[in-house]
Formats: sequence, structure tokens, C-alpha cells
Amino acid sequence: MRTVRAAREEHILEAARRAGLDLPSACEIGWDLACACRVLAGDFDNSDARRYFPEDAEAGFALICTAKPRSDLVIRTHQREAMREHRAALGLPAPRGSWGTRQPRATSG
Amino acid sequence: MAPRDKPHASGAVKGGDLSQRVGVEQIASRGVDVPALVEKLIDAAGAEFTTYYYYTILRMYLAGNEDYKEICEDARLEDRAHFELITPRIYELGGSIPYDIREFADRAGCPDAYLPGTGDGKRPPSQDGTGPTAAAILEVLLEAERCAIRTWSEVCDLTFGKDPRTYDMAARILNEEVEHEAWFIELLSKERDGIVRPSGHFRRGAPGEAPYSKNAGFYNP
Repeated sequence: MRTVRAAREEHILEAARRAGLDLPSACEIGWDLACACRVLAGDFDNSDARRYFPEDAEAGFALICTAKPRSDLVIRTHQREAMREHRAALGLPAPRGSWGTRQPRATSG
Repeated sequence: MAPRDKPHASGAVKGGDLSQRVGVEQIASRGVDVPALVEKLIDAAGAEFTTYYYYTILRMYLAGNEDYKEICEDARLEDRAHFELITPRIYELGGSIPYDIREFADRAGCPDAYLPGTGDGKRPPSQDGTGPTAAAILEVLLEAERCAIRTWSEVCDLTFGKDPRTYDMAARILNEEVEHEAWFIELLSKERDGIVRPSGHFRRGAPGEAPYSKNAGFYNP
């Protein structure tokens, strides 16, 4: 569990980075689900996202690259696959690649 | 000569087996998650294709800014070249683009580059003089290129040192996307803010020249 302070008009991912957290992201405009999180408590505004459905909010998913806090929040990170499954179950569009995945680079020798 | 003297003459894929590809098995053995890579390439191809489509519209609304229009056309044609470059690689890796173009567009890895003032493509732009400005269009173009840079940087990271063919392709595309971003920063900065931020580039030799992605296409008609 980590505590991060974010300003009201600051995107949560940006605040997390400022606090030294290395969270997955890719498009960074609220589209590809790489940064998807589950909001366990609190309110947020995800209206800056390029594609975000009311059903996403109802299920508690946030795209934190474009989400702003509206209260104290409790967030579970790394929810890309869960959010993609949620979209698929409802017939809502989403990229299928695991964006935001970082793999270790091959080493020589 | 004994078989052990030709260690690459056989391997995990048995002779005559057409159900597997050595070109896939080799990169998998070096650590590439091939199915996951294919999914990303399909998303990325969808983004290049939808971008090509939307840029076709965006350039139409740059009337009177002929220099912007030409540069938008270069980016448009180069994004189409990227789609052409990615698609063969998807099939080489055992994948397929969707059989329904709607599915393809829906799963694109980057947002639709809608013409500003159309309510995300739901209505035509106003014709009363308050239609989309050049600055608003340039902002859309810039953010589309930035998404592409993030996309291809990630594909480069995933394939570096393990899958030289996909890496080469991704690096070529990334080279052009970086140039596109530089163009649109230069143009938007001057148009919107009155500030000169040079791209360092001059115009392409021919529209959509694609100096990296078409200079030696491995399949690029």
C-alpha cells in the first residue's frame, strides 16, 4: 500500500509518478486500458479520457492517466486485464494488446 | 559431413511440418511472447489504418493553409505505409487482421482522430465560419502522433535483441512518427502560440515519401 498526494486537477498517474511509482501506461490519453485501476473507495473524474463508458465507472474502473481525484481514493492498480474482460463481457470496444507491459531487455554475454 | 557440423539444419520444428514456423519458434525461444506481440501489432495496425482514414478528413479542412495541408498529407500517406508494413508481419507471426473492419477500428490502440467540432464524428462541422480552426486540427494531429510514438516505443522495447524483424519494422515506423510529432509541434506552436519551435526538417521529396518505412520494404507494394 502506498499513499500518494494528488492535486484536484492533476491526473492520478502523474501524481503517482511524481511520488516515484512506476505504473503501467501506454497511450496516456485514456484509451488503451494500460493504466486501468479499480477504485475501491472514493470519487474521481475520468472525463478527460478519450474513451470511457458509464459502465466503466459503474464497475469502478478508472483510467488513471486521465482521471482526477474528487475525494480521497483507494485504488488497486494493474487492472488492465480485468477492465478488458469487463468491456468484452458488455460488448464494449477495447484494444486487445497488453499495452503498458514492460519486459526486461535481453542482455548480452 | 556429420549432422553435428550443421547445427542449424534441424531444430524444434520437424522437417516437413507446415503447422509451425521456425521464424516464430526462434523468437519465442528468445523470450518473445508471440501471441501477445501479435495482439499488439493488430491494435497498432488498426491505429495506423484509422489514423490514415481520419487524416483524409482532417487535411480537407486545412483549406487556405496549403503548407499544413501538404504536411498532413505526408503524415497521412506515411501512416498508410505503416499499415502496409505491419500487416504482413502479423500474418508471418501466425495472426490475422479482423475479418470485420468495425472490429478492427474498435480495437485500434490509439483514439480516433476526429475532426474538431463534429462531436466525435457524429455531425458535420459548422459552415457558418466557426468551423474547425487550423490550430484545433493540428492539436488532433499532434496527439495522434504522440500516441503512435508511445505505441512503437513499446513494440521496440518488447522486441529489442530478440525479434530483429519486428524490431526493424517498429524502429522504422517510430522514426517517422517522431518526425511527424516534430512537424506538428512546429506548426502548432507557431499557429497557436506564435512561438517558433523548429522541427529541424524540411518537406518530403514527394508526398508520403516515408523515407524509413518505404526505403527497403520487405513487403510494401
